[in-house]
Amino acid sequence: MQMLVNKQKVPRLIVVFLIMAGIFAFDTLTQYEVAAAVFYSGVILLASRYLEQKGLIWLAVACVTLTVVSFALTPTGHRDTGLINMMISIAAIAITTGLIVRMESALSAAQQAKDRLLRYARVKSLEGLASSIAHEVSQPMAAIMTSANAGKRWLTHVPPNLERVETSLERILSDASRASAIIDRMRSLATGEVTKKSEFDFNQAVLEIINTSKPQMQKNNIVLVTDLQLDLPKAVADRIQIQQVVGNLILNAIDAVNKVPAHRRNIRVSSEKRDGRILLSVQDSGVGIKAEDFPHLFEPFWTDKPEGLGIGLSICRSIVENNGGQIWAEHPGRKGAVFRFTVPACE
Amino acid sequence: MHEKGTSRQEPVVYVIDDDVSVRESIQDLLASVGLRAKAFESTQQFCSSHLDNSPACLVLDVRMPGQSGMEFHRQLIDQGINLPVVFITGHGDIAMGIQAMKNGAIEFLTKPFRDQDLLDAIQRAIAIDSENKRKAESLEKIKNHWNALSAGEQDVARLVVEGLLNKQIAARLGLSEITVKVRRANVMRKMQAKSLVDLVRLMDRLDE
Repeated sequence: MQMLVNKQKVPRLIVVFLIMAGIFAFDTLTQYEVAAAVFYSGVILLASRYLEQKGLIWLAVACVTLTVVSFALTPTGHRDTGLINMMISIAAIAITTGLIVRMESALSAAQQAKDRLLRYARVKSLEGLASSIAHEVSQPMAAIMTSANAGKRWLTHVPPNLERVETSLERILSDASRASAIIDRMRSLATGEVTKKSEFDFNQAVLEIINTSKPQMQKNNIVLVTDLQLDLPKAVADRIQIQQVVGNLILNAIDAVNKVPAHRRNIRVSSEKRDGRILLSVQDSGVGIKAEDFPHLFEPFWTDKPEGLGIGLSICRSIVENNGGQIWAEHPGRKGAVFRFTVPACE
Repeated sequence: MHEKGTSRQEPVVYVIDDDVSVRESIQDLLASVGLRAKAFESTQQFCSSHLDNSPACLVLDVRMPGQSGMEFHRQLIDQGINLPVVFITGHGDIAMGIQAMKNGAIEFLTKPFRDQDLLDAIQRAIAIDSENKRKAESLEKIKNHWNALSAGEQDVARLVVEGLLNKQIAARLGLSEITVKVRRANVMRKMQAKSLVDLVRLMDRLDE
């Protein structure tokens, strides 16, 4: 039995055995022609929560045996009635056991299929990631090789053009660190950082991030409007991760509005409670998003920025989803774009 | 190359790649071998810039935000712009390479590529383009000469290259033989043809 059952469930199984003993005693000692034996099927049902398939079958065999023994030992009473009662009980035990075994194997097959699907989805997304990494890294690699070759050629000039060699070397250094940054970010994206959830003041967390990006906004003549709902419930999420998302959305908004004339650069950050969750919106008056780009916005390595890696929004999505929220983009009424995400709230 | 005209100008390589490091490094490499290069971060930027008539070639990245390099190449062909293209790509597959070559690309290089491969392809592309430009220029010149002829001279020229004698031409056009002779001399002079064979060759090129 030890092989088949979890130790914590032993006390509950003892209750099951006591009931079995009670039924056995009743059937054996009274003259009611093993009438109580039909309740063994109840025992099987009860035990099915604690026993694996094999244990359950053994228990059913034990119940059948006890029924037969009770029938044989019953001192007096109508023999034919006893025989019929015994048959009914055995049939009930067998049917109950059979149904439970079939149901459990169906459930476990469903669970296995679900696990397989999740594994498959993960492998698939990593495959996409891997081929994208290859592409992203090949850019700085190509630049490094070309710069190195250029440097070598400048050296063969007579006299060697050391100034140009230095420029080539500097480009090599910056591209090498860029390649390694890509790989670092990939690693954290692929492994997925562990989320440490806590309750925190959402607006406070957002304001901290806004304050860090204010100098950049002032430098670019961006008008910032913050519209944070005052009586928000506390958010339940990883504070630092949520701040990363807010920061990323604000940086994207800054990039977007920098492409339009200075007098039209507005960013609006607002928070509100919606459907029991906290909703944050970052709206910009920038160049907007093309309709055909909407489906790709959150895909890894999709980008419309020449310098972009195209992983900012995909990381945002992983973070928001890991924290039990959702992230999406919308077309605001006028020009620009709005990105929104939700986080679970207290209560 | 000894002809007077724009094809003697210094060749130029147009580099279109959305990655700033790739652009700069290719420009650096080309500068180190003494080649002039102009870099653009998108095909749109390239289109809005002014191109001179120097022998040129295009180094084009396949994968770019907005219009891809392959699309842009097809667009150039559709517009009748005959600029040799060398593709560079970070994720080239064979099918894509074949398609690019079918469209008439000079070379399809996968990043990171060997510098010599790129330089060889660029040299080849520039040689092809300067030949194309030289041909186009001389054709242009022949056309100008032809247009400088009067209608009567053009009639005479057409019959001369058919191999007709002056007497026959005169009969066919209802002119005096003297007039035909004068017009024929004008044709040879204005078309800068040294001989009858030369004139036939020039007229052939006009028909192409």
